[in-house]
Amino acid sequence: MSELTTTSVLAELVKGAEKPNSFLNIRTEAETFLAENGIPSKKHEDWKYTNAKRLFDNGLEFTSATDCTFNSVDGVEIFWSEAEKLTGSTAIHTKEAHAALNTSVFEKVLVIRVKKGTQVSDELVLNQALELTGNYFAATRLLIELEDNASLKCQLYFTGSNASEKSLHNHVTEIFVGQNSQLEFNIVQEIAEGNLVNTTEVFCQRDANFTTNTFQLSGKLLRNNLNIRLQGENAETHLNGFYMLKGSELFDNHTLVDHLVPHCESNEVYRGILGGKSTGVFNGKVFVHPDAQKTNGYQQNNNILLTDDATMNSKPELEIYADDVRCSHGSTTGQLDEDAVFYLRARGLDEFGATALLLTAFAGEVLNSVSSEELRNILEQKIQAKLKEMRA
Amino acid sequence: MSLLSIKNLKARVEEKDILKGFNLEVNPGEVHAIMGPNGSGKSTLASVLAGNENYEVTDGEVTFDGKDLLDMDPEVRAREGLFLAFQYPVEIPGVSNVNFMKSAVAEVRKHRGLEPLEAKDFLKFMKEKQQLVELSGNLAGRSVNEGFSGGEKKRNEIFQMAMLEPKLAILDETDSGLDIDALRIVANGVNKLKSKDNAFVVITHYQRLLDYIVPDFVHVLYNGRIVRSGTKELALELEEKGYDWIKDEVAAEA
Repeated sequence: MSELTTTSVLAELVKGAEKPNSFLNIRTEAETFLAENGIPSKKHEDWKYTNAKRLFDNGLEFTSATDCTFNSVDGVEIFWSEAEKLTGSTAIHTKEAHAALNTSVFEKVLVIRVKKGTQVSDELVLNQALELTGNYFAATRLLIELEDNASLKCQLYFTGSNASEKSLHNHVTEIFVGQNSQLEFNIVQEIAEGNLVNTTEVFCQRDANFTTNTFQLSGKLLRNNLNIRLQGENAETHLNGFYMLKGSELFDNHTLVDHLVPHCESNEVYRGILGGKSTGVFNGKVFVHPDAQKTNGYQQNNNILLTDDATMNSKPELEIYADDVRCSHGSTTGQLDEDAVFYLRARGLDEFGATALLLTAFAGEVLNSVSSEELRNILEQKIQAKLKEMRA
Repeated sequence: MSLLSIKNLKARVEEKDILKGFNLEVNPGEVHAIMGPNGSGKSTLASVLAGNENYEVTDGEVTFDGKDLLDMDPEVRAREGLFLAFQYPVEIPGVSNVNFMKSAVAEVRKHRGLEPLEAKDFLKFMKEKQQLVELSGNLAGRSVNEGFSGGEKKRNEIFQMAMLEPKLAILDETDSGLDIDALRIVANGVNKLKSKDNAFVVITHYQRLLDYIVPDFVHVLYNGRIVRSGTKELALELEEKGYDWIKDEVAAEA
């Protein structure tokens, strides 16, 4: 379909949202960006393998979505806001079209704040349970701020067992990790046939530690844009992901770590298992700016293809403009180790049991970076369940 | 009835014939040593018996405890009581020995109509068997064979054998590359597990192992067939005269 139609679908979406009378500055900026750039097609390098524009071409209808559920946790301020000043201050809405679209139409932002010096012991669990049927489009937005010397562990679920293959969920999370603060942010994506474009924009201050683990379990198209800026010295980030695909699922992870200052560390491990005719995309970039001396940057992407028809597009990238750094990256895509399967079978495990044991172990490196044992167990069960589906 | 009966077994790998009519009868309580020069078919025999699908059986039959072995999947062979100690044990990162053995023992017990062991009993059982091969206490949490020395890997094979309590164990060059201390530990483990009800087929290139695991029968495998069978004296003769002696004799008979 033509560019014009997509533009009019976009215009309808924006109009359908009834122009919320809030955040007017950033909405105007976002709309200007959208008007100039539109939704990127497969011709755009960042969307080469992932055709999200198709959903717009087929027409999307705006629906209100402000029903993220969450538990109450001591030490965490959590509230809906139409005037949170930090919203949009990462400026992501003037860099990327989906974040711009989100900015122009989202209704309210769910703000999560941990005050200076507060160590939160219980985990905050957020559930974005959207049942987007038909061709509904919804935009949701989170803002997480840890002030200085604070700590929080948070789980964000995207669920929707009835989400339709024509729907689209657009989510943006802006995260600010203050000086000497620690945030663990675990994301689970399980939205049946639905489509999701999820943007996470993170700013880390001095001595901050940001750990994020993303688990992609089901969806027609799941796209994560994760951008982490290490803005203060001695900041550290661990970004990990695990994805399992079957059928014609397409899961895409684009990550960017910006090392802006010296003495920071980033550690990235993404692993995936692909079956059926599924397509995986990993594009991870570590960008070391000229001032960022003594950077430690490590990046790894490993994939196992279970079928001949599954495809993995892996592109690890290092861009280094400082001369005293330690960085490495690597990417592997292969099949399950047949010798290992035989070894396990020779000890009495059947073929599926052997395969499941090996694949669960493969997921282990990512799973083990989740600190909650309860969540690890839940994820392990979900992984086992998906392995059974993939066998069928 | 013999425990293992191999008749006229022929097998090939990648279009190359390796076993060319192999015969062997093993009874409970016996230890058989199979010796032979490199390339004679020793490891092919072990792989075929364990059910490695890279090897194609083209003729012959194998019965194990009265059942058709070649008809069974590898895991069924293991559950029925056949154990292969691998020449090259596989490293499995991320899978702990305790999880691996828990799954394996549970499968074998299920097949034999036994309830799974309670966690406490399992750990006690595992500790006992570990001591048998002098593997240190932290074995349970380590990944299977990952970062193990050659000797540790072979001891881990014997440990697994002890855990699974097979009727027939095939040791595929378990002695190759071991120093004398590790060799003694491995042999001690085997000797303690030996009983009137089980049997061992010890595949080796070197006579040295047979000083520690004393065989009832020694067979010489050459060019895919057993060309000589005897008692342990045959192994000593081989050690003295070398495999060329056998090759020459076989050539002369042909």
